[in-house]
Amino acid sequence: MRILIVEDEPRLQRNLVKALREEGYAVDAAGDGEDGLYKAEAFNYDAIILDVMLPRLDGWELLERLRKKKRTPVLMLTARDGHNDRVKGLDTGADDYLVKPFDLSELLARLRALIRRSTNQTSSKIEIRDVVLDTRARSALRGETPVVLTAREFAIIEYLAIHRGEVITRAEMYEHLFDENDDTLSNLLDVHIFSIRKKLGSEVIATRRGQGYCIE
Amino acid sequence: MIFNSIKWRLLLWMAFLLILILTGLGIAICHIHLADQLSQFDDRLEGQVATLTAALSGPVTPDPDEHPPGETPGDVSAEQTNRPSPPVDQPDAGPLRLPPAFDGLFGTRNTNSFYFVLWAHGDPAPFRESANAPDGVTRPHVSNKDTGTHIRVRHRFREAYHVTEHGDCVLVGRIVDSEYEEARHFALLIFFSGAGVLGLILAAAWWLLVRALRPLEKISAAALKIASGDLSQRINVPETESELGRLAAVLNSTFARLETAFAQQRQFTSDASHELRTPISVLISEAQTTLARERTPDDYREALAASLDAAQKMRRLTESLLELARLDAGQEMLRRENTNLAAIVQDSVKFVRALAVARRVQIHCDLAEAKIFCDASRIAQVVTNLLTNAINYNYDEGEIWITTHIEGGAAVLTVVDSGLGIAPSALPRVFERFFQADESRTAGNTGLGLSICKAIVEAHGGSIEVSSSLGRGSTFTVYLPA
Repeated sequence: MRILIVEDEPRLQRNLVKALREEGYAVDAAGDGEDGLYKAEAFNYDAIILDVMLPRLDGWELLERLRKKKRTPVLMLTARDGHNDRVKGLDTGADDYLVKPFDLSELLARLRALIRRSTNQTSSKIEIRDVVLDTRARSALRGETPVVLTAREFAIIEYLAIHRGEVITRAEMYEHLFDENDDTLSNLLDVHIFSIRKKLGSEVIATRRGQGYCIE
Repeated sequence: MIFNSIKWRLLLWMAFLLILILTGLGIAICHIHLADQLSQFDDRLEGQVATLTAALSGPVTPDPDEHPPGETPGDVSAEQTNRPSPPVDQPDAGPLRLPPAFDGLFGTRNTNSFYFVLWAHGDPAPFRESANAPDGVTRPHVSNKDTGTHIRVRHRFREAYHVTEHGDCVLVGRIVDSEYEEARHFALLIFFSGAGVLGLILAAAWWLLVRALRPLEKISAAALKIASGDLSQRINVPETESELGRLAAVLNSTFARLETAFAQQRQFTSDASHELRTPISVLISEAQTTLARERTPDDYREALAASLDAAQKMRRLTESLLELARLDAGQEMLRRENTNLAAIVQDSVKFVRALAVARRVQIHCDLAEAKIFCDASRIAQVVTNLLTNAINYNYDEGEIWITTHIEGGAAVLTVVDSGLGIAPSALPRVFERFFQADESRTAGNTGLGLSICKAIVEAHGGSIEVSSSLGRGSTFTVYLPA
């Protein structure tokens, strides 16, 4: 899952990026509205966390312009909790709304719910053969045995599971699972897939030669 | 309670005064009317006395064969109907002959008609009286010399009498019940007309009062709504020229000012809480992220540094807010003394020197002595703030010129920088609270610095102005009363 954070307060931005990366998301950040809009249009994010008060281009304007091109789920962050602001935000096309100061756990829960809704999942648990993925706890069970997956491994199998039945190209995997700051070493997708198969069974992820990967 | 209502009180007073006036007027009219009636009646009595006297025209001697009362005048007059000549021509001592006109007057037994009584000279007993003359008519006591006609009132009777030159006395009278009855009717008429007039005037007055006081009700209704918190209420009074219209206009402008003040206050509170929310967000999410798992000492150090940053920002913000609140509250915070503005500026320049050196910004001073009566530490705060801005919003190796002088009785301070300048669109708003021209909130900026400068200068009775051209620098000018 790749997330864009548009937040102008540097401390808060840095902290959110760190927190989301630790949750296994690939995270990009933008410090003002123009940069945010550029990134939101250029990449296919799974969700955007958008602050309302931004220099150059405010959150409302960014959202309005983005909605003309894309349906990316947007979670608005605002320091104003006026009723009108909330209504305005939801009317402009925001998918959810969170007032500062917020709890990190609430932000993460809302983000998960947002992604679940946008991919038509109803539950945070996904079953693949004898494997159960818990997207909330970010843990995996093989039969009754817990399996330890790295954040990156979990992100890969989660993405494939959410888009179950679809063939996901390597390019798409790269776009959604690695952010602009990831170094090339961690991008070795094949290494991660090999490791997942070793832990959960080789039949979990199918390889479509020349096209990509797929969970059937 | 209706007596607390102006409308009712005015109406009751008006009714009270009207009743007084109408009653007085009514009584006067009735009196005049009655007097008039009686004087007319007296004229008739006197006329009849005169006629009777003329008929006697000589000393009256008692008539030996006196006719039974009531018949004589009739008989006499019947006898004389064919004789137009008055009985004056008759020889004296003959039976009294009365003119025919007297027939109707004295002819009946009706107690309500005129009666006459005649007394001969020197005789207390009447020698002749009409049939309807009441009992107990006594001879009036008049000296023989007095030949005038007099009026006397006896119980229900009114009588006119006259003593002829012969000493005979002629008296004509009548019961005056009918006059008084008539006067009573008249008084009743006056009473009812008065009541009608009173009713009409009060109705008209009520209508006028209701109309005149309607704006007052509107005012109180609007004021009530405003008191309960709806500050957008205004009084809708169409006639603006009347006293109440002017009052409504004054109140409306007061309400408008109140609403603006409240809106500003609300905006300020909302802005303040907004500004506090961001550092609090940083603090909370920093702590939560850090506590989510085991960290290296470096991670903890970084998290603590970030938290400290956020806390410092909040401290600066709350200090600035408190300061603004105190300045808003009034002038009593100022500890004024006689000082020299040039000396204050020199201290401030020393204070910011390190910052200027770090940015390699040069500060040029041109300080003429300018004595002012002010709170030196507050004015130093203004100068330091302006200098810090001039350094922060300057290019590296930029320049600052600071001058003080006296101009037109005021001390003038100018701070000119060669810096970034302020966009014309942002220029009118630089003194607004929380306004930040560049919007990228650089750490340590509360957006309150210039607002505080303005508040301090205005608390001293001075003013602050700014002019700027984008990319070339800004000029801040402070005027302080010397």
